[in-house]
Amino acid sequence: MSWTEVQNLGVKAASGAGVPAAQALAFGAMVARHVADDGPQGAVAAALSEPDRIVGLAHKVETIVEAASISSKPVLTKEEDAGTRAMLVSWITGLPCKSELEVAGAKLRINLSLTEPSTRGRPERLHLEPSLAALMTELAANTYVPDSEASRSGGAGAGLMELD
Amino acid sequence: MKDHAPSPVPLRPPETVMRLSRMGQMMPTRLSFLRVLVRRLCTERASVLRSVWDMSPDGYGQAVYSISLGDHTYSLVAISSHLPDDQRSDRVIATAWDAAFVLFDGVPGPNDLDRIATQAPKQEAGRFGPRDLVLSRANKSMRMWDATVAALQSGQQPDPRMIRDIGYLMRTTAVYGNGKFGIADRNLIADRPGLDGPFAAEMLTVYLIRHFTLDLVQHVGGAALDPRLARHIGIGNATGLGMAPFLVNHPVLLHNWMQARETALARVIGRAAITDEQINRLQDLARRARAHLADWHVPAEEHNAVLRHLEADWDRFLDHFDAPASFASLWHAAQSETASLQELLAALLLEVCPEDVDDLAADMGDPFGALVAPFRDTDAVKAAISSDWAWALGLDYSAAEHCGRFWYVSAAKLEPRLGDRFTEPGAELESPLDTARRVAKLYADLPEQSEPVSAFTATHPEHVHAIARVALLACYPYAEIRDNLIAATCRPIDMLRCKLSFFGATKFDPKSDLWTRITLAQGAPLANELRPEMDDWWLPVMER
Repeated sequence: MSWTEVQNLGVKAASGAGVPAAQALAFGAMVARHVADDGPQGAVAAALSEPDRIVGLAHKVETIVEAASISSKPVLTKEEDAGTRAMLVSWITGLPCKSELEVAGAKLRINLSLTEPSTRGRPERLHLEPSLAALMTELAANTYVPDSEASRSGGAGAGLMELD
Repeated sequence: MKDHAPSPVPLRPPETVMRLSRMGQMMPTRLSFLRVLVRRLCTERASVLRSVWDMSPDGYGQAVYSISLGDHTYSLVAISSHLPDDQRSDRVIATAWDAAFVLFDGVPGPNDLDRIATQAPKQEAGRFGPRDLVLSRANKSMRMWDATVAALQSGQQPDPRMIRDIGYLMRTTAVYGNGKFGIADRNLIADRPGLDGPFAAEMLTVYLIRHFTLDLVQHVGGAALDPRLARHIGIGNATGLGMAPFLVNHPVLLHNWMQARETALARVIGRAAITDEQINRLQDLARRARAHLADWHVPAEEHNAVLRHLEADWDRFLDHFDAPASFASLWHAAQSETASLQELLAALLLEVCPEDVDDLAADMGDPFGALVAPFRDTDAVKAAISSDWAWALGLDYSAAEHCGRFWYVSAAKLEPRLGDRFTEPGAELESPLDTARRVAKLYADLPEQSEPVSAFTATHPEHVHAIARVALLACYPYAEIRDNLIAATCRPIDMLRCKLSFFGATKFDPKSDLWTRITLAQGAPLANELRPEMDDWWLPVMER
């Protein structure tokens, strides 16, 4: 899959799981980075089954960014389980700004340069495990609205079967 | 966001520029993406090589065109198929088209061609790889196609009036890039010279499709088109709601596009002097604009009335071009005119001073994403909303007039749609394009006592999105459409017009408030004419 496909699917899956808009957007970016960096995909699936966990993770990142904007000192996270820590790494490294991370036991030491762009590259292809892809596709479907006659009659090309 | 040398006059403020009523009047400029691409092709004196032409006498088969741009070679693979008339539809839900296209990275080998020939006609149902850069499809304008073929077969040329009125032989109904259906992500090609601008790969595809349609009609017609007529045949496009949310979902890009245009305009208006040569050029272009408007008629009465009004206003305004004292005086004279005339004049002024404009094209992309510092506390959020979002506050978003519509993604084609909140199902699944309403709600919920933003969002996670938009706008002032996009009166056609003008579209032909047809590349140099002196096709008029 392309990076964009994985990212967009991640956004829709999180939305479909009930995560608010901004956190779902950030989650999508995290998923693409996570898959690209061979992060444990089971952790992503587990998070999608607990949308509050995604909101909590997003808030954790928000506090890290806030701290980085106040002080140039590295931010030290609290102890996390391995899955959460792996997603936190992907979330931080998926930010558009430059980041440096160091694993300190069960904690992370994070340096963010909010005004400098990230230099991390993106691979040509991402391999999303079929089970996670299926879960995300299923959740994404929760966000789609069945077409109504009114919407069908308003789209591009509607009402025309002409020659010009 | 790039910093530019300060202009001697201030840029038009976002409060003026970022209103839908004005965005819906925008015109293509020399900063439009197709124009920038063709200018680059002209500068490089690019040539198009047709390496495969396996086409039946009726025009069904395969073709491959290759072109070098910025030291890379790209190839358009075109698959032309027979399509019964009753299947020819602009609808995104269509499943068959007259032609399907892939822009390929490099020159495709036999295996690539076989794969593309199998997958491209399936469009959204196909799968593509990282060397496939753009996917597209097109339908014939049968009236134009049949008449052109018939004319050529009988040793004649097609009627210029028909070319003027229709403007294209085929009309694309989708041009997909950036990772869709497995094609290459934009970032894989974003640093390549010539493809570094927004939608450059898509524009290259469109330009080559136009070339293919000209080749195809001459093949079936068995004779050559007069180049003056061929040059005036562009490539059509039918565009619906799919592209409207893009402007909301890519705020940094929108800012960069608008800022580049506004910076260019300010530079031109700020010129201390105007030369005789520039006055002559202004007059030529003003006359060309008048002729273009006279040629531009659309069936929709409401939209045609706007065009006729603009034509009459422009006619009256032409006197100002006789002996303008300065660019500023010309611009000043337009300030009592309609937004429509002002936008036309803005585009014209940019055309006259390429040295003030063309370098700005390099700053219209968004290679990094938003680099935004968070607010220090909730009082800072409140202050930013008071300063930048007054237009969003004070509306009663429970009233039907202010929340009558909702944006959603359709289950049938996963495409954005717009629904009526009070008569259609699905409002509970609406997409977050209700930015004005969200910011107003955030403003109402912000605490009286200031606290860290993270403390506020810990109990109000639903406001994180609005806070992010407020933070963005503080850094990127042109990033937000300053209108309520769920108002009952919201006209998505205005968003389409804005985006399509940045693509370089002409002859907007709205079919409703929700979708439009346009023409691209009309008047553009033909593939054997890509030379620097050919970059003069703003608001094209057929040579008479």
